[in-house]
Amino acid sequence: MAKDRLAEVLARYEAVIGLEIHTEITASATKMFCGCPVAFGGEPNTRVCPVCLGLPGALPVPNQAAIEWTVLAGLATDCDIALASQFHRKQYFYPDMPKDYQISQYDLPFCSGGSLEIEVGDEGGYRTTVGITRIHLEEDTGKMVHVGGSEGRIAGATHSLVDFNRAGTPLMELVTEPDIRTPEEARCFARKLRSIWLALGISDCNMEEGSMRVDANVSIRPRGATELGVKSEVKNMNSFKALHDAVAYEIVRQADVLDGGGRVVQETRHWDAGARRTSGLRSKEEAHDYRYFPEPDMVPFAFDPEWVDSLACRLPELPDARRDRYIAAFGLPKHDAALLSAEYAQACFFEEAVEIAGADRAKQIANWMLGELAARLNADGAEIADTRIRPPMIAEIVALVEDGAISGKQAKDVFAEMAETGDAPGAIVEAAGMKQVSDTAAIEAVAAAVLEANPNEVASYRAGKSGLIGFFVGAVMREMRGQGNPQVVNDVLRRMLEG
Amino acid sequence: MAITESDVRHVAMLARLALTDEQVTTLTAELGSVLGHIDELQRLDLTGVQPTAHPLAMTNRMRADVIVPGLSREAALSNAPESDGMAFLIPTITGAGEES
Repeated sequence: MAKDRLAEVLARYEAVIGLEIHTEITASATKMFCGCPVAFGGEPNTRVCPVCLGLPGALPVPNQAAIEWTVLAGLATDCDIALASQFHRKQYFYPDMPKDYQISQYDLPFCSGGSLEIEVGDEGGYRTTVGITRIHLEEDTGKMVHVGGSEGRIAGATHSLVDFNRAGTPLMELVTEPDIRTPEEARCFARKLRSIWLALGISDCNMEEGSMRVDANVSIRPRGATELGVKSEVKNMNSFKALHDAVAYEIVRQADVLDGGGRVVQETRHWDAGARRTSGLRSKEEAHDYRYFPEPDMVPFAFDPEWVDSLACRLPELPDARRDRYIAAFGLPKHDAALLSAEYAQACFFEEAVEIAGADRAKQIANWMLGELAARLNADGAEIADTRIRPPMIAEIVALVEDGAISGKQAKDVFAEMAETGDAPGAIVEAAGMKQVSDTAAIEAVAAAVLEANPNEVASYRAGKSGLIGFFVGAVMREMRGQGNPQVVNDVLRRMLEG
Repeated sequence: MAITESDVRHVAMLARLALTDEQVTTLTAELGSVLGHIDELQRLDLTGVQPTAHPLAMTNRMRADVIVPGLSREAALSNAPESDGMAFLIPTITGAGEES
């Protein structure tokens, strides 16, 4: 969909967007209400027990660590932490829930009334604050595979296979206020939340594997109107880009409906990343008649304020604070500092490299990470933990360049080899005989030969064609098989040509 | 608060119960008397009384985040009406509320 189409629609309509973000607490060793391990995938139904299978008589017992992670999430997003809280049963019939109800929270969530400030766009962007209605804790569902239909969809399926390995995984649901106004704001919010969850260590937040899932409630209203429009709930976005694109699509779709004199229907819509559109899901169920009631199998919680304070002491440095520290301590540009601090694993990598190389080389380390390393990760679709490149290698390559042992160009070759082999930069330089030659006498000897071989160019240069310096530098570098220090080569040539 | 036949049919649908017309008539009367009793409770003046979250006067029963062995897959599937040896096998979901 064309960007200008969205802009045209947003000039006439205001979009009102709220997000519901589910995050599996993958930091937890065990499920929410039983001692089965939390993991992704695996052989079906190999991490199950009477509790997560919903067998009669099995009694759930809440996982204290999962509750602590949720309270930490609330503290990191400025929420009030409830001192009195409890679980509720949410009834619905679907085969991915063996009990025919989900243990969730209703009117007493662990966290409520928070907010998060986001920055939208780079330099010249703006800040806006998004309210956080609540964060509550519940259990994830099992997974179903539909057999016999096309592409594993329900339509046409003859039967379905149910795997309860995921059932009961601690699942944190965060609901925002409808404070978001554009697809980009939605993306920024979700990104920022992910970076905070990663810093807290709550979850691996893997959107493709579904450990972080973002649903969007979208409605539009004419600019200036105060009454809310009818909303649709858009699901199935498995990346930040999909979130952005699905919300953008939905805004334009609703505008088309209204412009055509139609009415938006309240419904759940499914984002199809391949077709790049949303489509409605037919629903015969009165889906919101969940008949919540207090979970009788578990007693309520009465927390001590001192317990909450003790958890607050566990809060690590959050991404914004980290970014500001990078700017203050290392003099990084704000954009670079924000990129490095947003991803916890990347921030740790950066700090380890700086620790080795020294703070005065932080800028160069940042450049390597956001340049060559980021490009390589992007190309491979890999995470920083997946590469063979480790922080000491970046520190070493920066040191080799800064100390003049190799040129910037040679460093890129070293980097490429190091990424392939995982060998240390010093060893690669050694093995390739790549040492940069900065020795003035050696360079002068080569330069003299080059000048002698090209008398016409020398005459032209001296007659004023100073652009020919590049020709001479190239010729000297070729003679030296790229090992001349470019700065020294340049200086030597200018001195010889102009002297 | 009187309960109507249509309330009963709605709740039966949510609970996936296929009721006959006679059952709807009987249940409307029976549920009506249950709700009549609740109505009496509703008339009590409960100003200043905290809702009872649980009949047991206990709070904060939690467990440590420690793995305990569960069921073998064979045992887990042993009572399933149908399985393929790995997963629970269920018939086509008709009138499905959503796709997963």
